[in-house]
Amino acid sequence: MTAQLAALYRLMLRTQLTRGRLAALLGLGAVGVVVGFAIGRAEVVEPLTAGTRFVNVFGLSLLVPVATLVFASAALGDPAEDGTLVYLWLRPVPRWRIVAAAVAAAATVTWPVVVVPLVLSALLTGAGADLVVGTVAGATAGMIAYSALFVALGLRVKRALVWGLLYIFIWEGFVATANTTAARLAIRSYARSILSDATGVTLRLADFTVLSSWLVPVAVGVVAAAYATRRLRRMDIA
Amino acid sequence: MSTTPDAGLPPPPGGAVLVAEHVSKWFGDVVAVSDVSFTVGRGVTALLGPNGAGKSTMLRMLAGLTPPSSGAVRVLGADPHRDLDLTRRIGLVPQQEAVFEMLSALEFVRLAATLAGLDDPDGAARRALGVVDLDPTLDRPVSTYSKGMRQRVKVAQALVHDPEVVILDEPLTGLDPRQRLQLIDLFQRLGEEGRCVLVSSHVLDEVERFGSRVLVIAQGRLAAEGDFRAIRALMDDRPHRIRVRSDNPRAVATGLLDAGVVVGVHLVDDRTLVADTDDVTRLRRSVAVVAAGAGARLYEVTPLDDDLESVFRYLVGR
Repeated sequence: MTAQLAALYRLMLRTQLTRGRLAALLGLGAVGVVVGFAIGRAEVVEPLTAGTRFVNVFGLSLLVPVATLVFASAALGDPAEDGTLVYLWLRPVPRWRIVAAAVAAAATVTWPVVVVPLVLSALLTGAGADLVVGTVAGATAGMIAYSALFVALGLRVKRALVWGLLYIFIWEGFVATANTTAARLAIRSYARSILSDATGVTLRLADFTVLSSWLVPVAVGVVAAAYATRRLRRMDIA
Repeated sequence: MSTTPDAGLPPPPGGAVLVAEHVSKWFGDVVAVSDVSFTVGRGVTALLGPNGAGKSTMLRMLAGLTPPSSGAVRVLGADPHRDLDLTRRIGLVPQQEAVFEMLSALEFVRLAATLAGLDDPDGAARRALGVVDLDPTLDRPVSTYSKGMRQRVKVAQALVHDPEVVILDEPLTGLDPRQRLQLIDLFQRLGEEGRCVLVSSHVLDEVERFGSRVLVIAQGRLAAEGDFRAIRALMDDRPHRIRVRSDNPRAVATGLLDAGVVVGVHLVDDRTLVADTDDVTRLRRSVAVVAAGAGARLYEVTPLDDDLESVFRYLVGR
């Protein structure tokens, strides 16, 4: 079991981490670093508030979901599309192991790509350790849910990148900002709550408890992974 | 030999390993396979048919990659789409060229061995690469390999776990003659070892070398099955249409009718006739003699329906 899981994990790390993806996302992360630096130099009255709002808008609402989408949707979506999934599917490997390896690989690749520039930009704002802790925790919680969700999306639809961007910008960025009820259906609300709790800065639609802010993303991840496993069992393999 | 689909056929020698019972598969409004029944035993069996005939869909169902829309598929008595353990006993060479491009041959085949749960994946991978005559120490990604090398890597990953059933979808496409011969020899060896080897192809001459048992599929239906030589004879015995170009086609037509080598003649223009014959070999032997006897010059003798498509259409239409 361990050998199979490790082999799948290594394979998916290698297939997801292309130069193009890495360059594009590191470029996006660099933008965050530059803005963090600019906030730090601007001598704002409340750097913690400015830094928290910046991490919320740029990090948790853009960089975390988009970067996770790029890697996670490709984890099983690319093999399904190009036909190489057959080499994994036609082996005596429980389907959940394939999904687990894909989710773990997506999270592994995404985490440094997202967290390193966000932590750098948080440091450069001069807001202190609370912002760094909130940034790491919020980004990690969001990534857990997004990784599984977008792995499932990659198996479910063609052009998962487009559907994922629609989810991120239309649903989470627009519909789920209407009120608290709608916000419950957006992963970023929970990540935002973790950030708000860590920094003590009040953010709109970020009033979930710490417990639920961690439990819900984990639950979303588990349900999405279970769906992906079911989908993998039943789908036609090209 | 049977030339029509018949679920009541006796099992092939050695017992049935692959069984298709009234299998149909459709994708939306498109019927890819229609009510196909056959059994395949140990040894090499060729699945012959033109492109788009439904061969790949049939092989995918036998490998369990997709379930039939109706009917049943059994491999070694189990449902290949539902029985995960059965994958230990099946090796598949899929038609698509895509492999994990960044891996070397050894890494790719070792991955297959690891996923198959083998105790010594590295040793098994090296042995499988040796079987297909590839150097396991070749340390460069598969993306840099030639078509023939990639095809052999695909075969190696299918054989690494020593499967009883080997399914190969157009494995010789794009290979040079020497590579083809090597793989054909390998398939024959696998068959002689008692494995069930099912190889698809759309090339008649290729199939002739695989072995004696053939399934012919066309337009999603089983057009013929049985011994290759009998099917070949059936194909050769069918009515043929030949175009003859001459400076005096009328005289040539009369001569051919008088010689009894054609069953019908149609004059197309003042230089061309089209003849129907049941015995194309005899017609080819006679036409020059007939033309000489009639004082006519021959410019061209061309079969109009010698392509595989027309052969398959004939078999389906019988």
